[in-house]
Amino acid sequence: MNYDQLLNISVELGCQLMFSGAEIYRVEESVRRLLQAYGLESPEVFAIPNCVIVSVTTPAGHPITRMRRIASHGTDIQLLERCNELCRQLCAQTPPIEEAQSMISALSDRTRQYAIWQVLLGYGIAPAFFAPLFGGKAEDILAAMLGGLAVGFCLLYAGRLIGSNSFFRTVICSAVASLLSLLLVRLGLGRSVDTVTISVLMVLVPGVALTNAMREIMAGDIISGLSRAADSILTGTAIAIGTALGLSIGWIF
Amino acid sequence: MNEIWSVYILPCVCAFLACLGFTLVFNIHGAGKLICGMGGSLGWLIYLLGGNTIFAAFWASAAIGLFAEIMARLRRCPVTGYLLVALLPLVPGGGIYYAMSYCVSGNIQQFLTTLLHTFGMAAALAVGAMMTSSLFRAVYPHLHRP
Repeated sequence: MNYDQLLNISVELGCQLMFSGAEIYRVEESVRRLLQAYGLESPEVFAIPNCVIVSVTTPAGHPITRMRRIASHGTDIQLLERCNELCRQLCAQTPPIEEAQSMISALSDRTRQYAIWQVLLGYGIAPAFFAPLFGGKAEDILAAMLGGLAVGFCLLYAGRLIGSNSFFRTVICSAVASLLSLLLVRLGLGRSVDTVTISVLMVLVPGVALTNAMREIMAGDIISGLSRAADSILTGTAIAIGTALGLSIGWIF
Repeated sequence: MNEIWSVYILPCVCAFLACLGFTLVFNIHGAGKLICGMGGSLGWLIYLLGGNTIFAAFWASAAIGLFAEIMARLRRCPVTGYLLVALLPLVPGGGIYYAMSYCVSGNIQQFLTTLLHTFGMAAALAVGAMMTSSLFRAVYPHLHRP
């Protein structure tokens, strides 16, 4: 058996799992199961949020290690479910490595994605229906929807302009959110700046990081858990700074 | 009847639809969308019934954790997606905003109160879902022995 190739496909699977936003223990467990299914005795897998290291010892006693860094990524639940399914299938059937390789590399292409306008619509719908939860009336719903669309537009299209630094990106997006809410309320659309701003900020709020942090700590991955917890606190701070920035710009004019 | 409609049912419908919006962002397809929405409205209902306190948020997130674990077992899917989206309405976005506005206006007493309340909410969410998830994982193998 070609162990180099086996190592490559297992690292590739781990990477895809990471990109989909899987928990650390799931990445480690999946890669370990895959390698064990192909007959390796004790594969070692180590993952933290932006890096995967896999090390195996071939039956001939030759150790091989591969490391891959993972760029910052979002959350893609469909890809996560597909990866999970594929891993289970590979472990049960153990097809030849070439076949497994083509299945793994086809993974991200064959995963269903929403069209960009649907994602933008999602960014609009979510704040619109958060507004009534925070005491908003009909005008607030419309204003929150417009604010959400603007933030979604910033996140989806202005990535190159803002850069990939997530702290800075959150600052800019929440500044846009609060400034736009202030303007819309002044124009008469929407009644309360607080309600509209909070509804729009809900799309930026670190809910994902918080949930993931909790799940990592629960699974015993303290390093990843703490780094995600720090991430959620930083995101919260970024939201506060950005909102203050946007409101103060708004009050000047 | 009218009061039940406006205080409980309407907010739950809104939470459902808001979660549906987030499923588009996180690329969730099919029945998973409905599960996320139902989890979100279940959590919000418990939060309302508990009276909008930190303790209510704890129970709401505990209920969401249990719901998400059961649904994930039924559909043989990772639990992350359902948990992630259903918890989102409870995340204290308002707390961050009000803490910021008290901080900017120099009202230190109110700022600290709101900040601590926000941290309390976040911790309640984390601990609630963590508790039921761990409990479920400990109990489930005993229930489902073939």
